[in-house]
Amino acid sequence: MKLVQIAGWLGSGKTTLIIALSRALSLKGSRVAILVNEVGAIPVDGKVIQEYGLTVKDIGGGCICCQVAGNLMKTLQLLSEGPKPEIVIIEPTGIAVPSSIRATILSWGRKQDVSMGPTIVLFDTTREEKLLTYESLKRLVSTQLKDADIIALSKVDMASAEAIARAGESVRLINPGARIVHLSTTRGDGFESLVQATEKITVQV
Amino acid sequence: MSMKERLRLIVPSPLHEDVKAYAVSYSLSRETEIESTELRRFAADLMKSISDACIKGGAKVIGHIKAYIEHASGFLHANTVGAHKSFQLNGRDGDPVNSFTLVVNSIVYGLPEELIKDATVRAIEETSSAFGLRITMVSQAVTAGLTEKGEET
Repeated sequence: MKLVQIAGWLGSGKTTLIIALSRALSLKGSRVAILVNEVGAIPVDGKVIQEYGLTVKDIGGGCICCQVAGNLMKTLQLLSEGPKPEIVIIEPTGIAVPSSIRATILSWGRKQDVSMGPTIVLFDTTREEKLLTYESLKRLVSTQLKDADIIALSKVDMASAEAIARAGESVRLINPGARIVHLSTTRGDGFESLVQATEKITVQV
Repeated sequence: MSMKERLRLIVPSPLHEDVKAYAVSYSLSRETEIESTELRRFAADLMKSISDACIKGGAKVIGHIKAYIEHASGFLHANTVGAHKSFQLNGRDGDPVNSFTLVVNSIVYGLPEELIKDATVRAIEETSSAFGLRITMVSQAVTAGLTEKGEET
């Protein structure tokens, strides 16, 4: 079972990417399961993903990076004992800290037959200025970006060339080691490289 | 498991403290049927109305406002990240309907829970009224902890 985290601030396009990614991986023959964790107490994303015929499990009651990390471990345990998907895509809340989730997975996965795929963090290029202006928001978004193996600059079809360049410079300063992908899930930019990364990259932790 | 790990499992991260959320679900109905184009217009107007109300109330950044509409033969998913941005609308239209359910999640940076709740509920009431829809709240929750309600408006 390979675990891939697709994180990033609220509204950055995680659910849209996960639907497209899961469909592409399923078409290639992989058995995919999706774990969704939302801030809102009445789930929406899980329902939407389910409407596209994908296997999804909602984890509610709080954020899996802190409050309900135990529920994440229980759900992974159930998956590993039951359906045993080849790839598990985890969509944390838009306010989650990816390294905390990775730590939870590692503490659960020590004795399991699991591998860790890349942590992909989306950054909304149309909102670069707002996300990096307010102090506490900047701290959260920067923490998410620092935890990324791959940063996907999302919604590039909706942003100007200047905004994309500015977003690229900002995220590179925050995480110089991450691979940066320009992503438009609707237009297809960068999508295939994320499919390949999900399939082929295994991260040493 | 160390004490640090145990604490991490139950305490919300301090990084979350300025982000608040309100979730609500309603049942909506009207005597005359609602065509898919009108339902899409309702969803679009609702997104703009909630987003505008949150910004007017003092929100620094709209995190994500999401709506899920479900009825006998279809569904709509609408979402927006701010008043100045266009909303997204996807789904399967289905047949005209007399009733549907609506779930709204409003997640906002820099606005207290109660103000997010007021902005969201007021926007739903006003938008529904503009479309001649009768609404009944099914459940609601502020950030965490679901409480049941059943008030007809």
